[in-house]
Amino acid sequence: MTATAPAGRVSMRGIVKRHGAFTALHGVDLDIEPGEFFALLGPSGSGKTTTLRILAGLEPLNEGRVMLDGEDVTEREPGERDVAMVFQSYALYPHMTVFDNIAFPLRMIATPRDEVERAVRDAAARVHIDHLLARRPGQLSGGQQQRTALARAIVRKPRLFLLDEPLSNLDAKLRLETRVELRKLQRALGVTTVYVTHDQEEAMTIADRVAVFMEGRIVQVGPPRDIFARPASAVVAGFIGSPPMNLLPAEVRNGVLHVAGVELRPERPLGRDGAVTIGVRPAALRIAATGLPARVYLVEDLGDTTIVDLDVVGQVIKLRTDQRPSVREGEQVHVAMPADALHVFERDSGARREL
Amino acid sequence: MTAAKRLRTFALIGVAVLLLAVWAFPVLWALLTSFKTERDVLAYPPTIVFEPTLRNYRDVLFGSASILPNLLSSTIVAGVSTALTLLFAVPAAYALARLEFPGRRASGFYVLATQMLPPVGLIIPYYLALQKVGGLDTYWGLIVIYLTFSLPFAIWLLVSYFEDVPREMEEAALLDRAGRLRALWYVILPQVRGGIAVTTIFVFLNAWNEFLFAVVLGGNRVRPVTVAMFNFISVEQTLWAKLAAGAMLAMAPVILLGLLAQRHIVKGLTVGAVKGGGRT
Repeated sequence: MTATAPAGRVSMRGIVKRHGAFTALHGVDLDIEPGEFFALLGPSGSGKTTTLRILAGLEPLNEGRVMLDGEDVTEREPGERDVAMVFQSYALYPHMTVFDNIAFPLRMIATPRDEVERAVRDAAARVHIDHLLARRPGQLSGGQQQRTALARAIVRKPRLFLLDEPLSNLDAKLRLETRVELRKLQRALGVTTVYVTHDQEEAMTIADRVAVFMEGRIVQVGPPRDIFARPASAVVAGFIGSPPMNLLPAEVRNGVLHVAGVELRPERPLGRDGAVTIGVRPAALRIAATGLPARVYLVEDLGDTTIVDLDVVGQVIKLRTDQRPSVREGEQVHVAMPADALHVFERDSGARREL
Repeated sequence: MTAAKRLRTFALIGVAVLLLAVWAFPVLWALLTSFKTERDVLAYPPTIVFEPTLRNYRDVLFGSASILPNLLSSTIVAGVSTALTLLFAVPAAYALARLEFPGRRASGFYVLATQMLPPVGLIIPYYLALQKVGGLDTYWGLIVIYLTFSLPFAIWLLVSYFEDVPREMEEAALLDRAGRLRALWYVILPQVRGGIAVTTIFVFLNAWNEFLFAVVLGGNRVRPVTVAMFNFISVEQTLWAKLAAGAMLAMAPVILLGLLAQRHIVKGLTVGAVKGGGRT
């Protein structure tokens, strides 16, 4: 890719979006590299879709600038940004055939007829719907509709793909398949892709980097592995992973961690005394002879793994193991919590405490 | 089918037949009357069996009181006012449904409020206004007056159809570089075809059947068929058979239009019934 070609570098600075008295985005900063598969992840209402729509030019913003390849496009119309979008609802034109749907963006820029024909067939073939071109969207399955929307987006080779929860209307099996295909398609095309999802597993598996949104702010940006390994706050920790990290209130006193009446002495220093929240991944927990006293609340057998719900002083935490544990519901057990698997967050701010 | 269900079906059919009879009776009566001689019309008890005649039709079409010029008048007035209504109502309804602008709600209410006015209350102001600008007994005068009613009605009707088209549809078109106008033309309008058909029919029907304004604001040059038919009723006598024949002829174009657009209407009416009025 040459330096002069529209590479698809995104830069958003200080984006503020207000709906009356409600502030949807509190100054979002975002940088996306050319060719990156970038996920905007967060629960509903966290501002991820608003951010995508602002990037597309579909939503006016109150403050901030949007830059594409170093150009300020904040005031540009959606059609002048050279971006393509796949909507959650697909937004296929119901009165047009699949062919005409895919051809629409090309026809709007007066592409020669034979070139339209070639480009539409090529795009359709890439998403395996080239046998459906004569149908109308109403005659397609959900998966085929989704592919049509995808073909319409890739047909004109934009500098940016914007995908708004494109898989959320598919059934679980198809969602997993399409996820893989989407990733391969993006690699093949090399087009910068911004992908909105509330499904953390989807974001973690598909994206090069992830921005985690919470209540109109980006709380962490990084490769999935980093976010998983070192969540920046207790909220992120409680959102990432399936099941997500267990969080328990604890206290640091004289370098000793007090959790549910048990003292833990990690080899690493814990930092200053005070109230904290400790986090530990379900897979790091073990049922052992010593540790936190717990009562087995529920055993969820998932086939290859088992999730044990444990009641620790009135709070349910989850333990995941590959071996079928020999525990019964209602049984009193102890849970070992390896010190090196512990994450410590400030109780009041939720911020990660670097150990 | 259970007994209760069957009973329900029978009841529904019964009600439907009753309603149909109430609706169809005057039409059928007029149809029969149009084939009778004036003498048979006045016979008491009414005759069901009589010698049918086409004289009434010949008279109202080609006689001294031919309604052909009046049918032409009606066609011009109803046709042009329908065309103009759609020309203005479609973009206006689209704007009301989509764009955020100050006074959007207020203008929506205004549109509805004009429908609440009894038309008869406006006759005198309209008459005086048209008289001032020389619009009495002219086509443009009557058409302008019809627009004052049909335009708000058409806008109000069309807004709900536009609102049923998902916003994302035109956002997709905008991102595909269609621009507002081409998004409207290629993406939105084809999806509100049913609504436009329904609106066309209603507006045309209202203009075609309008009598009050036509009789007061029209005259010798512009005399729609409704007014011409009324002239069959005079102080000395009422020509019932000719009136009926005239009515049958006046109904024909409307019925034709209805048949042509029937598919759209039925579809459009159900859409309106299920989702209409969902203004947020």
